[in-house]
Parts: sequence; structure tokens; C-alpha cells
Amino acid sequence: MKNKGLGEFEELVLLAVCILEGTAYGVAVKNEVEKHSNRTILLGAVHITLYRLQDKGLLTSEMGGNTEKRGDRRKRLFQTTQSGLLQLKASQDVRQKMWQLIPQLNSGI
Amino acid sequence: MDSKNYNTPKLPNWLASKFIDEMYLEEFFGDLEEIYEDRIQTIGKFKARFMYWFDVIHLLFGFNSIRLFKTQNNSTMMLKSMFKIAWRNAIRQKQFSVLNLLGLTLGITTSVIIGLYVYNQTTFDNFHEKGDRIYRVNQPAIWHNWDRQFASTGPNVAVALKEDAPEFEEVTRLLSQGTQTVRVISENQKVNVFSEPKFYGADGNLFDVFSFKFKAGSPLTALSEPRSLVITQETAERYFGYEEALGRTIDVKKSDGTWTSYKVTGILGNVPNKSHLQFDVLSSMSSYDSYLKPDEWKWIWTGFSTYGLVKEGTDIAALTKKIQAIPPKWAGVTTERIFNQTFDEYTAGKPWTLYLQPLEDLYLSTNPWFHRFGPNGDKQIIKVFSVVGVLVLILSGINFMNLSTARSTNRAKEVGIRKVLGSRRKSLIRQFMFESILFVSVSTIAALLLVQLSLDVFNNIAETQLALIPFLNNPVFISIVIAFILVLGVLAGSYPAFYLSSFNPIQTLKGKMSAGFKGKGVRNGLVIFQFSISIALIICTFFVQKQLQYTSSLDLGLDQNNVLQIHNIKQLDENDAVLKSKLEANPAIVSVGKSFSVPPFILEGERYKGSQPNAQVIDIGNMRTEGAYLDLIDLEFIEGRNFDKAISTDKYAVILNEAAVKALGWGTSENYISDSPIDKTVFQAFDEEREFEVIGVVKDFNFTSAHDQIGPLMILHMDNDQMWNFNRGSAFLSIRIASEVVKDAKGLQNLLEELENEMSQIDASILFEYSFLDQEFEDTFRYERRMGIILNMFTAMAMIIACLGLFGLAAFSAESRLKELGIRKVLGAKVSQLVYLFSTEFSKLILISVLLASPIAYFLVNSWLDDFPYRTAVEVWVFVVAAIGALLIAMLTTGFQSLKAAHKNPTETLKSE
Repeated sequence: MKNKGLGEFEELVLLAVCILEGTAYGVAVKNEVEKHSNRTILLGAVHITLYRLQDKGLLTSEMGGNTEKRGDRRKRLFQTTQSGLLQLKASQDVRQKMWQLIPQLNSGI
Repeated sequence: MDSKNYNTPKLPNWLASKFIDEMYLEEFFGDLEEIYEDRIQTIGKFKARFMYWFDVIHLLFGFNSIRLFKTQNNSTMMLKSMFKIAWRNAIRQKQFSVLNLLGLTLGITTSVIIGLYVYNQTTFDNFHEKGDRIYRVNQPAIWHNWDRQFASTGPNVAVALKEDAPEFEEVTRLLSQGTQTVRVISENQKVNVFSEPKFYGADGNLFDVFSFKFKAGSPLTALSEPRSLVITQETAERYFGYEEALGRTIDVKKSDGTWTSYKVTGILGNVPNKSHLQFDVLSSMSSYDSYLKPDEWKWIWTGFSTYGLVKEGTDIAALTKKIQAIPPKWAGVTTERIFNQTFDEYTAGKPWTLYLQPLEDLYLSTNPWFHRFGPNGDKQIIKVFSVVGVLVLILSGINFMNLSTARSTNRAKEVGIRKVLGSRRKSLIRQFMFESILFVSVSTIAALLLVQLSLDVFNNIAETQLALIPFLNNPVFISIVIAFILVLGVLAGSYPAFYLSSFNPIQTLKGKMSAGFKGKGVRNGLVIFQFSISIALIICTFFVQKQLQYTSSLDLGLDQNNVLQIHNIKQLDENDAVLKSKLEANPAIVSVGKSFSVPPFILEGERYKGSQPNAQVIDIGNMRTEGAYLDLIDLEFIEGRNFDKAISTDKYAVILNEAAVKALGWGTSENYISDSPIDKTVFQAFDEEREFEVIGVVKDFNFTSAHDQIGPLMILHMDNDQMWNFNRGSAFLSIRIASEVVKDAKGLQNLLEELENEMSQIDASILFEYSFLDQEFEDTFRYERRMGIILNMFTAMAMIIACLGLFGLAAFSAESRLKELGIRKVLGAKVSQLVYLFSTEFSKLILISVLLASPIAYFLVNSWLDDFPYRTAVEVWVFVVAAIGALLIAMLTTGFQSLKAAHKNPTETLKSE
């Protein structure tokens, strides 16, 4: 599969899944992203993104972990795959490289 | 936290389950519910629900649009292109699009709500498994009017039917017990007392006939033993909370104040709302054998509803004919022993018919006009609503077609260019049809959402429990909706689709388009049609309100204000004198009087005749009370005097109303001077034919409700022990409260607490229940008032839709006449002249509508008012007001457009050609 790069929101979601480490499901991811980015996100957007990332092979998922809330329904728990981590790393590297090329920052202003 | 406390909205759930893959549903709903619960805590239920909707719709679109736009084959491309063009057209003419959608949405909403209501009302009692074989046995209303049917019979009718008509598989009875006082002792020995108005005696085979669902206990045996009770789930919870109810003991108070113990042998699921029988407690009929058996032969004890389950394949007409032999055979004993007349003498030629009324007809029955065991619908109202619903739908449909056609004439150029570029007629037709159907679909979906949102309000006003959700899975409902969308869509789209697409592109591009002109006559006709309906509705609604106003402000002939009635006085027995003297000493109370019935519920009656030779036997209403009560409600004595405590013979004296004097054949008030009814005597036409002396005549006053004409009434002294029902039945203490106490809400509250206190000091087991006389009279028109409000809303809807339509047409007409107005302006016309020119065109249409609507409305109003004995006058000014109102509204809606058009600078409108 060709490496297409990540959208900004995709990256946030992917990061949130990494942070949550095995407990990442729709609402948790939504809360996590909201917490760090200070913006309100629709649940649907999170879901759609999660599935898109799964389609790209960056996430895997399984059903599990029902709680007393949510009417005894199971959650779909997402986990990052190896290529997901690589992808994150890659985009981090791209940014890092570009940051380093900003002259104003380098000259210490 | 218990997750069942939260009910997520059902409609979006349903939508989601239809459009999202099943494999994703569980997690979606889980996530949605979790967020929903959090939101209820933080931002409140309403916002949480709104956000829930929002999330679901977002999810739906997110999921499906990705899929749709990813695919790139020919048909989806085409679809996308059609969508795009429809969207662009809608956006280009925002005003039209919004008006068009809004009008149609409102119309569909109104008619769906009406449809739900009508469906609800016409499908009562459809849950009984053997429903098609259940019949209620009716008899003539022997107490009122033999021509009308009465929903209950004597106890023996069931026995006779079983014996003489083997076609009946089962015959079962219900006996209304009036309001019963019930005592329940909980597991921790707490005593609770309840008042049960829906407490009926029932034969053991009741559940062989009716299929009420049991939660516990056996339907076959629950009511077979004496002193058994079957209660509903809701009642069981009320009595026992979460404790086990089956097998528990419940005490029921007897009229002498002692308690009888009953055992709970069955718990029913709650009685469905759509049942003409509504009860909380059923007791086994065999519990009453001690007083039922000795009186079972009495055919005039008409407290029993008799239901028959006929065998399969029974010919009802033949059976009905056959059972007519029963009354002459069985009822003779009653007439001879009670009225001292043979059966033939008693009926005097009027047939004592037994009618078999099918179960499905019971709820909406107008004849009999009421029954004792639950609600009775109104066929008339259902008809009116159905008509209004259909009219509103037609109105909005016409509107939609009107605006769509008007709008499409602007697209002649588009058609021309498309044709030049090689578009075939077929694809043009498809485009127009698609747009039209799309519009109707959007409005329909919006309307369904709107219905769901507004049902709560409607249910509150109409006191119904309508729900839309169950219908969304109903294939019939879905097909009706789809058929509606297609029919209206095709009708509205056919003009542009077939007519516009047929144009020669050269002509349309040259600007020789006169399409708007041709449709004008039709459009004007449609406007007239719309406004005629709206104006007629307005006039009718006006009179409905006027009639309600009139009846509630009617002079009842008694002073109903500030009168409080304390119930359950009979249970005090001798102690009522104690309570009475205490009340009399209370400074907040002006006077106190005891009676055995209170208006507007004086329903007892007996048969009497005058003392003159050959006097007719007539039915006269009976009220048993004392002199103080008559003073309290301020009756006006035309002749004679009130009961006097000092005169001992007054015990056997009676007071008549004017109607009774007249019915006895003693003339009207004008000839009292020459032939006074005072000192005449009235004979009982039953038992031992005792005679009572008339000591007074009161002016007619309303003692049932303003629905009825005032009938003959005899006021008996409550100490009159020569009446069979001496000291029986329920009794009331009425109190006239000092007006300054009533004015002050706190004072009234204090007084009520005081009264309750006084009563519980005498006997704590008696429930303190009270009512206000004026309130009771008001409540007799409760149903009409509710329906009046609903009719108002629907009329407002019809008017709004008509105005939206007119507004749209005016806008269209203004736009297409811009050039004409510009030229007129250049030639020297003033703005006011232009506005006048423009407005008169529409005003003419409205005037024609008024002329058409008035006679129709007059006819409708007149025939509706004919049912009321006290009717408001049909006055001309109402028609005038409605006409002027409609004209004003039309002027306002068109005026804005005409002003806008007339103020345009002619250089702008004329610069391009």
C-alpha cells in the first residue's frame, strides 16, 4: 500500500489511540482529542476516522469490554499497528525536519 | 447507575439501524448512549436529545456519503448531477424553495397528526382475540327516551340469554359499584386507604370473553370464588409498591362502614388505552350474591353491562330477532311487582328491544351515547377532524403544485439551452420529476420529524397517547407515505416535465415564452379554492368558540360560585350532624346543606303521575336533600315555599321544578295564579303508590349539564322514608364559602386543611374528597373545550399554509411583472397606484372566496349547533369579521411584495432585454 500520509485530524486520532493504549474506543478517543486540542468534536467524525485508519491498516480493532453504562453494549477497542506507529513516526520526522529548517528559529530570534 | 433510567430517542435509533451495517451498530449505540448519559447530567435532557439526533444524522451521512461518492459508475454520476442541479435551482430561488417546503411540511405534519388521532380513535378494542364475536347487549333507555339505546341492562338479561339463546357461547356481566373505599395493609403493617372509582363487579367468565393479559394468576379461575379481586399492575404497585401482590388481602368498605376482606387472585397487565373498558379493580360477582340474588329479577336495575360471545358462524340478524322474545317473557314480573302494570301496560306499545352492538362499534357509539365502564369517543369529532386533515393536505398539496409550476416557468431558458446542447426530452422529464419528488420527500421527512417533536404537545391537549414510532415499521404506513410522495411529486412535476420540455428551443431562447399566462386561470382557481376552505374553517372555528363561551357563561338557574362539596358523607352515618354543626360554626363558611346528589350529576329518577283522573305516568328526576341546601344553591321559588324544619309533615312534601309541573299536566307559570300547583299531590307509579304533597315550585335550573334541556325534577326531603332508596346512595355536604376566603388562595388552602382535619377527627378511615360546583359544570364541557383548542390549531395551520401560498404567488407575480411595473412607472404611475393595481388582483380572489365560503360555513355551523339545546346565535358580524380578516391577511402578504416591486427603480428593471 502506498504511503499516503496522515491528515491533521487523523493524526490526532491516531495519537489518542496510542495514548489510550488498548482502552481506545469511540467516546474515549473523542474525549482524549477534545482534552488535548481544546475543540469540540462530533462522535461521528471520530468513528469515521477510526474506520478510515483501519482501512489504511494503521489500526486494528476487536470488540470487548462492556460496562454498566451504554446499556450493556460492547465497545470496539482500537489498537495501533506497527505500520500505524511507523506512519506517526514518519510524520513526526517530516515535521521535525521542517522545523529545523526554519531560519528564524535557528538564529535564535 | 441503572442504565435503564435513560431512554435514548427511538426514532434516530431506528434510522441508524436501517442505514448502518449491523456489525457497527453495537458499538455505535453503546458510544451514543454513553455520551447521551453524560450529556443528560451536564447539559440537560432536551439538549442531550438534540445532540443525540445530531450525532446520529452526522453518523448516517458520514458513513453513507463516503460510500456513495466513492463509486464512480454512470448511474451514480447521473444521480449526482441531478442532485446538483436540483440543489442549484433551490438555492437560486431561496425564497420560493423555503416557502414551498415550509408550506408542504406544515400541511403534512398537520394531516399526519390528525391521521394518527383518527386511526387511534377508530381502532379501539382491536386487541381482543375473539373481538369479532363479542357483542354488547343494549336495551331502550327506559328512564329517558325509549327511542334511544342504553348501554346497560338488568341483571337477569344475561341469565335469560343463556337460557333462551344457545347461540351464545358465553354471556358475561359487569356491575358498576360506584366509588369504593379500599384499605390495604402493607408488610410493615402500614395502613393505606384508597378511593377507587373504577371498581367493578365481574362475572367469573369475563376473561373467557375479553382477552386482557394476566401477569399473575389464572384467567379461568381468578373471578370464580366469592371475595376475589383482580387488579391491574398499576393498581398493584399503588397498593403494595414492590411487594408481591398476588394472594394478598384487601379490605373494601361496605356502605354500613364495616370492612369486607377480599383476596387478590389475579394481576392484570395494564388495561390498554385503546379499550372502551377501563378499570382498576374487578371483584367477583359472586361476592355480592347476598344482595344480588334477591333482586336479580328486577329488570329495572339497569346497572349491568351485558356482553355476549356468540358461537362462530352465528347469524346476528336472526339472533337479534330471536332474542326479542325475551323481554315480554322475563320482564313482566318486574312491571307487575314494581309498577303494578302488566308488561304491555308498562311499555305502552314501545318495544323493549334488545340490541346486539358489535365490539368494534362500542367506543365511537352515539347510540347509546354513554356507558358506565370507560370512555366514549365522538364520531362527529372524528368526522370533522378527518375532513380538516384531508383539506389541509389538499391545501398544502395545491400550494406546492402552484408554486412549483409558477417557479418552473422561469426555467424555460434552461430547457432551451439544454436542448440545444443535445439533451433529450426524456432526460429533461426525468430531471424535473426528480426535483419535484425530491422536494416532496424532503418535506415529508421534515414533517415526520416535526410530528415526532410536536406529538407531546398534542397528546397533552387531547389527552391521548399517540405515537409515531410504531408506525415507522408498519408496511402499510410506509407504502402510504411513499405513494403520497410519488403522487404529489409526479403531479407537481408534470407541468414542467411534460409541458416545458416540449418547447421548441428556438422560441424559448428568443424569449417568446408565454407559459406563465396559460397557467394563470388555473392558479387563480386554486387560490380561490384554498382561501374558501381557510375562510370557512375560520368561520366554523369562530362559532365553536362562541358556542363554548356561551354555554360556559350560561345562567344555570343556580348560584354555582363558591360552593364546595365534601364527598363520602354517607360513610359518616349519624356523625354527619357533628361535622355539620362544626362547619356551621366556622366563620369562613356561610351555610351548609346536605344532599344525596349534587348537580350536574342528578341522574336518579322515578315514575310518577298527577292526582287528576287519567293522568299520564311520567319519568321525573329525583333529588333528595334538605331545605338548607336549596337556599345554599340559591334556587328561586316561583310558587310556594322551601322545606321548613319546624313543620314535621314537610318530610313527605315535595318541591317541583317548572318542567315537572308542566310534564304532570298542570300548566306553565302563567296560569299558576288561577290553578296553583301548590297543595296538589303526586303519586308514585310504583310500589305502594304513595302520595306526596307539593309545597313549592322552583324556577328551572340546570341539574345535569348545559348539554341537555332541563328535564322535570322533583325535590324530595331526605328524611322521606317512603321512598325505596331512603338513606341509600352517596351523600354530600355542600358548603358556601365566604367570598373573601375564596379570593385569597391561602385562605382557601387553610380552609381545606381545616375541613380535612375535622373529618379525620371523626373517622380517619374516610377519605376527604371534595369538588367545586362551578368546576363540575365547567368540566362537563371539557371534551368540547379540548377539541376546540385542537380545531383552533388546525385552522391556524390551514390559514398559514394558504398565506404561504399566496405570499409565494404574489412574489412570483411581482417578479414576472417587474417590467410592466417599470414601464408604468416611467409613464408616470405613482407607487400607490401600482400597489393598488397589484393588490386588487389578489383581493378580488379573496372576495370571491369569501362569497363561496360563507354559505358553506353557515350550513355547517347551523347543523352543528342544532345538536345543542342552548345555542349561540349565528350572527352576521362573524362572517364580516372573517371576511375582513382574510382580506387584511391577504393584503399584508401581497402588500410587501407589491411595495417592493413598485419601489424598484425602472432603470434597473428595464435596462436589460
